[in-house]
Amino acid sequence: MNMSSYLLGLIQVFGGIILSPILVGVIQQLKAVMQGRRGPGIFQPYRELKRLWGKGLVNVAGTTIIYKLAPVISSSVLVIAICIVPISSRSPNFGFGHDALVLVGLLALGRFSIAASSWDTQNGFGLMGASRDIAISVFAESCLVISLAVVMLSARSSDLRTMISVTAGPERWISPVLPLVLISFTVVAITEIGRQPVDNPDTHLELTMIHEGPLLEYAGRDLALLQWNMAARHWIFLVLICQIFLPHGSSTLVQLIALPIVILALCVVAAAIETVVVKMRVLEVPRLLSVGTVTAMMALLALKATL
Amino acid sequence: MTSTRLIQLSSSSYRDYLRTCLEDGGKFLGLYACRTGITCLVEGGSGSISALSCDTPDKKAPSIVDLAFNANWDEREAHDLYGIEFDGHQPLRPLVNHDSKLDTWTVRLEGEEPYQVAVGPIHAGIIESGHFRFHVVGDRILHLDPRLFYKHRGLEMAAESKHFKEAISYVGRACMACSVSNTLSYALACEDILGLQATNELSRTRTLLLELERIWNHLNDIGAVCAGVGMAAGNAIFGYLVEQVRRICEQVTGHRFMARSIQVGKSEIEVDGSTVEQVRTKLGEIRKLFESSWRDLVFNSTFQDRLTGVGIISQENAKLYGVVGPAGRASGLSRDNRSRDKSLLYRDFEVSMLKDPSGDVKSRFDQRELELNQAFDIVSALLEGDIASATCEVRRGPRTPDEQDCIDSDNSDTGRIGVGLVEGPRGSTLCAVELDGQIIKRVHLRSASFNNWQALAKCTIGNLLPDFPLINKSFELCYACVDR
Repeated sequence: MNMSSYLLGLIQVFGGIILSPILVGVIQQLKAVMQGRRGPGIFQPYRELKRLWGKGLVNVAGTTIIYKLAPVISSSVLVIAICIVPISSRSPNFGFGHDALVLVGLLALGRFSIAASSWDTQNGFGLMGASRDIAISVFAESCLVISLAVVMLSARSSDLRTMISVTAGPERWISPVLPLVLISFTVVAITEIGRQPVDNPDTHLELTMIHEGPLLEYAGRDLALLQWNMAARHWIFLVLICQIFLPHGSSTLVQLIALPIVILALCVVAAAIETVVVKMRVLEVPRLLSVGTVTAMMALLALKATL
Repeated sequence: MTSTRLIQLSSSSYRDYLRTCLEDGGKFLGLYACRTGITCLVEGGSGSISALSCDTPDKKAPSIVDLAFNANWDEREAHDLYGIEFDGHQPLRPLVNHDSKLDTWTVRLEGEEPYQVAVGPIHAGIIESGHFRFHVVGDRILHLDPRLFYKHRGLEMAAESKHFKEAISYVGRACMACSVSNTLSYALACEDILGLQATNELSRTRTLLLELERIWNHLNDIGAVCAGVGMAAGNAIFGYLVEQVRRICEQVTGHRFMARSIQVGKSEIEVDGSTVEQVRTKLGEIRKLFESSWRDLVFNSTFQDRLTGVGIISQENAKLYGVVGPAGRASGLSRDNRSRDKSLLYRDFEVSMLKDPSGDVKSRFDQRELELNQAFDIVSALLEGDIASATCEVRRGPRTPDEQDCIDSDNSDTGRIGVGLVEGPRGSTLCAVELDGQIIKRVHLRSASFNNWQALAKCTIGNLLPDFPLINKSFELCYACVDR
């Protein structure tokens, strides 16, 4: 391990754990400006985390250890995921490797732990949100796996670092493979980070909630952890889009400089989508994800033709 | 408006009389109980209002729900507040009374697959207290039992034995969103008893206030539908528009919700010509912004997709439930109290109807736009010159046969009843007043919300649970008007 590798590792962990709430803050602020409001500023998520961190926990009567463990499990899962998702092709190994399929499994584990917690609390809104989340994930996961598989096949490796270096440079964009996968992966990303048109992160309408539903029974530090989870998911998916699915350079320096700029651009896109596109009817979401899956399949066919 | 005819009936002839009225093209308007009996209000085919009164010494009355389906809540309320048993209303579920077991006020849940979802009365958003019990399979609604009246304040009873001029503030307290419609219907009811006729100047002020209330409410409701589907931009811009109109209301009446702006027999609102001109210009700007924001919504296909085919009330059901207001007109019922009104300035008023009213969320949404434009037109026509304080005049000339009839059937001048009917933003608002001299014997407010809540519960059936907030917001009914 040399200096640059240390630095890359530091940026990756620092960015994923400490800076990720700023992504949510930036999207919120951009949305506010686009929608004619003043907005709370980009540091609002930190203020909220601080406020929640200082509050006591809620002990829901009749719950077991599952309810208490869920925020911890889903947070640890995301910390590992942050280590797994490299910000550059030369990122250091934290001992977890960089396997794309492990990432898919970790996200599923996080989802399961939250769903289990709503099953534990028996809160109607929690159960409703969790069941919608799990039903949707059936479609989202297939789309996610196929999108990643296309890149894995062309890299002949499931190591995310190899995938970054293989997809680097402009020549890959001559074939339709990457543009198609970009579309399908964006659909998954929107679903996974709970943004419109799939989910509305700002809603107070319990009946319409997907990701927010299971969070209703949490308070204090647990809720802070769960809110941070959503921010960490933003980081993971935006980094993946930026370093694998969008055009990127092959040198570490270029990748590093482009990262914040592209992520910011993606935040603008997310805010713009949320301003002009409303939340879809919940039964339409699988249809959107199926479109994503079909697009990924087309990429697979396109890849087969070029191989 | 012609005076209300009071018709004393025995409990055996009450049902038959009502049936004849309804068969002659009459319309059920409301029902309420008092200490000695019940009174049912019907509008005859010619537009005159009759109060069918029936004494109930043994606290028993025949039910009329089979004749007028929207008397359902009225009878349940009368039972809970005055202990009257309605023969034939089975089961007579509690409505205002909350001290009852789940089985008595909801439909029992049966089968393996359906489950119950309970929402409220405490909500995550800033809304009033309402409890909703859904029977659901997956995400689809099988049945809904709403429970309101969490903040029942007993305003009607509190107003009793007050002077009629004082009691208007009790009616005004019922709801701020409908403050003009509620107090105006009360004032008209009192003037109906006292034989007063509003002068042109007074009618003009009242019409202006009523239409201003309609404008801000409709703008607010459009914004609420935007919020229901996560259209934050639309919600923000319509929230801004609502605030602008409320400021105009404050400029005209001194209160953002126009509280205390309506008085019995007079109006003390005075606005000079230059302010009127200013308000007119400002409303013109608001209208322009409204039109461009509306266009943005019309051309947003993801937004329009959410509205079509959701929460449908067919014309048949709308008739059955007597749906009033924009919701009724969106289902193809062309009823609007403004077209029959003689006490306000609605000359040449034509009910605005959609070309193809289909009774879904989209129709109710589009209907509001039609009515907003109409309201803007009416208001700008009324905003010419000073607004001066005004009074009523005593009705002159020989009494009409109807009025003579009213005196005859009552035999005495005390204990007479008056009814005021106003087309509020949410539909027909009725206020019935019984006076003993100048003292209130009974006052009953039946707002459009009270009537439409029953239809709202019905029209959610078969829709998706996550669409309920949207359907709810397409009606945007008051809880406070009901919890009076």
